Amino acid sequence: MTGHAPTAVPVAPPALGPERAVEWPVRTLRTLANGMQVVLAEHRTVPKIGIELFFCSGNGLVARRSLGISELCSRVIRTGTAARTSRQIEEDLRRMGASLSTMSNPDYSAIAVSGLSEFAEGILAMIADLAQNASFLPNEFERERRQRLEELKIERTTPGFLSNECFRRVIFGDHPYAIIAPSESQLKSYSVQNLKSFYRENYIPSNALLIAVGDFSSAEMLGLIEKTFGSWKSAAAPLFAADIKSSGHGRTVDLVQFPGVQTEILVGNLALNRQSPDWHCALLANAILGGSFNSRLVANIREQKGYTYSPRSIFHPLRHAGYFSVHAAVRHEVVAATLTEIFYELDLMRALPVSDAELRGAMNFLCGAFSLGVATQDGLLGQLSTVYLDRLPENYLETFRDKICALTAEGVLAAARRHFHSSDARIVLVGDRAQIEPQATLFGEVRFHDNNRA
Amino acid sequence: MPELHIPVETETLANGLRVVVSPNYSAPIATIGVYYQIGFRLEPRGRSGFAHLFEHMMFQGSEHAAKMEHIRLINSSGGVANGSTRYDFTNYYEVVPSNALDRVLWLEADRMRALKVNEENLHNQRDVVKEEVRVNVLNRPYGGFPWLDLPPVAFRKWPNAHNFYGDFADLDAASLDDVRAFFYTYYAPNNAVLLMVGDVDPKKAFRLARRYFDDIPRQPLPAVADVAEPPQPEERRGRVEETFAKIPALALGYHAPERRGPGWHVASILDRFLHGGRAGRIYRHLVLEKQIALDASGGFNGSSGSIIDYNGPTLLVTTIFHKPEYSAEATIAAFDDVIRDVCEHRVSEDELQQVKVKLRADFYSMLESAHGGLPRVGLMHTLACFTLFDDGPHHINTAVDSLCAVTPAEVQSVAQQMLMRENRAILIRQPAPVQQNQDHCLREVVQ
Repeated sequence: MTGHAPTAVPVAPPALGPERAVEWPVRTLRTLANGMQVVLAEHRTVPKIGIELFFCSGNGLVARRSLGISELCSRVIRTGTAARTSRQIEEDLRRMGASLSTMSNPDYSAIAVSGLSEFAEGILAMIADLAQNASFLPNEFERERRQRLEELKIERTTPGFLSNECFRRVIFGDHPYAIIAPSESQLKSYSVQNLKSFYRENYIPSNALLIAVGDFSSAEMLGLIEKTFGSWKSAAAPLFAADIKSSGHGRTVDLVQFPGVQTEILVGNLALNRQSPDWHCALLANAILGGSFNSRLVANIREQKGYTYSPRSIFHPLRHAGYFSVHAAVRHEVVAATLTEIFYELDLMRALPVSDAELRGAMNFLCGAFSLGVATQDGLLGQLSTVYLDRLPENYLETFRDKICALTAEGVLAAARRHFHSSDARIVLVGDRAQIEPQATLFGEVRFHDNNRA
Repeated sequence: MPELHIPVETETLANGLRVVVSPNYSAPIATIGVYYQIGFRLEPRGRSGFAHLFEHMMFQGSEHAAKMEHIRLINSSGGVANGSTRYDFTNYYEVVPSNALDRVLWLEADRMRALKVNEENLHNQRDVVKEEVRVNVLNRPYGGFPWLDLPPVAFRKWPNAHNFYGDFADLDAASLDDVRAFFYTYYAPNNAVLLMVGDVDPKKAFRLARRYFDDIPRQPLPAVADVAEPPQPEERRGRVEETFAKIPALALGYHAPERRGPGWHVASILDRFLHGGRAGRIYRHLVLEKQIALDASGGFNGSSGSIIDYNGPTLLVTTIFHKPEYSAEATIAAFDDVIRDVCEHRVSEDELQQVKVKLRADFYSMLESAHGGLPRVGLMHTLACFTLFDDGPHHINTAVDSLCAVTPAEVQSVAQQMLMRENRAILIRQPAPVQQNQDHCLREVVQ
């Protein structure tokens, strides 16, 4: 005992007090005449606003041609418009206390700005300018391309990137979701014209969803949005769909060579996304397995065995599919021991119902974390984008907690059997082959990758 | 310009524990923190990394909450918990539905009163910390750059210059006796501040603070350590070899003014001129215009902190990743063009105004959610630093105004005093030669 004094306060943890109800934000929904959807939510914690304009076209749409076109387009649009130079864009943003990010993920491209609410009109005008009038100047394009090329080289020396890259290929096979980054030769082959046509075809109002959260009046904000975006001409939006094939039966092991002092482990399988009726139950099962600090994986391979610093498991929902993964970075000598424990925990979730205490604890965790997630402007914007981009029911936020609390241990067991694979799991290891090969072969025939893809 | 007034109420318990409450009822969430005024700067010699290892031990069990019980009680209340170790403080915080306030205070008081840890816990967490160091430093490109690389070059005193994550031999040497001694020396109520922000009624909050913390005795605190650095006569340089990546990098750190001393506020504004994203002068000149660098960013002691987080020698650091076809010297020369310009020419009112507006906006966002997007962790953190280091949590309502009073002449004057070559250290992180055996990581410092 390392103590200051005998205790005079209660020796048992105090019970929880009565809960104050969470107030779910009122949303204002509109579809403009040109097809652009608008979602507004007032949120007055600070005198700021967050506005994000999404386009339902991302890397997945162009992955077969070349995934990098979408992400490079996102980068280049902030470097100049018909009316503003690169420097003017950055200075105009700073004048409005604003930060801009432009990004592209497998399903979406987005232009996001957060800034002081008094500059709402200017921020909307900036977003409209970037969405409609990007100039794609050759010198700006070449600079961004070179930066991306060098970043790619760094990514190829980063274990976390290498493990994700290999894992996505193993999980998604020939589906566009299999690819997370372009090759250097692809990146070198793009022209400004490739970016311009992606921009012309996809950055259009019928493909767009604008979400604004913050310190504003919805009526005024709607007026500003109509004024700013109402005259934007539309066209037919592109469609992206591709069938997902199951990645087959039996455990597979892929080993990516990396000459470091640790092995990155990923174990998982093709799973589900938010459209699935199992979604809530899968989240609950995952919270117990490895989705919180108070989970079985953390208790086992961190707090009991000390194999790893931040073990975790997670469901990754994409628009057309989803996958599940367990992650741990461990010293080389405990790779087989860690995999054994990961499969022990997966098998246990698939074999026996969870205890009532674990079930209640995980329910409370998910419900509480969900309300933490809507308490900030950024958090609420993220939640609303989930609901409206994934076309979830209008009352998704309001019903989330009730749905979680209605689940049972039997339901969790069934969900675990469907979505945590064991004998069909995909294993990816990124580490030093010489040190981990004998351990890897214990779990199946090993496919080696030398990590010199270009 | 919008103003944001933060309500702040304070009370000091008989045992010296300072309690700060800032109510806001917009959501039924409470953000609670305990900050101890001990960071890795003052960990014992021969025990590098100990302050951080000790932070891990604070989750290993206390008198009435066994190992895993602390986190189980927080997670199953619907909340999250974390801790971090920094130069001059170690913090523990929870963000929970507000009906868990009692429970969180009970838990924090239990471990402030009595840790209950054993050899097995210590052994376990030593392994966990080593994996943390491997994943964050040893097994990734640019690990420890520049936060572990630059201090040994820039500083001469061990507290400021040592390996804060810990040499593995030092971690191995740490004993339960060390844990006890550290706990008794620094984890005392009179060396801490308790913060409760969000859906918390101040009257109730103070009552609960007294209920759970009042009986923890105050401890004699060690004399304030003198960590001030001797004067630096000339520019300092060092090198670290990059094991994995092929892109060369640089970190340049200037010694910042003393906390609350002359130029301290102005240094914050200067940081925003130089860094501050793509509009900042260094990114604009080196990346966008000259295209020598691939990326450039900066801030105090790396890009993570703000100047208010420190209570001892601090660097204003710029990190630059540059194209391999440019030498480190050519890159430094281009960087020096930016520095010369800000020293020789007074900044315009227009640029200063842009910087101030952005600073205010970023301050609001930081208060609302910082550190992973959790509600009001930034507010809690800012109140904690102002309380621990300035005894003035109320500075939260004047901090931005004092920054916004800065004039172009002051910016130039502080730039001229601070951004001198003799006041800086440069760390060059260059890729290993191609045939290099990569089994070991070279971290030689050349001075």
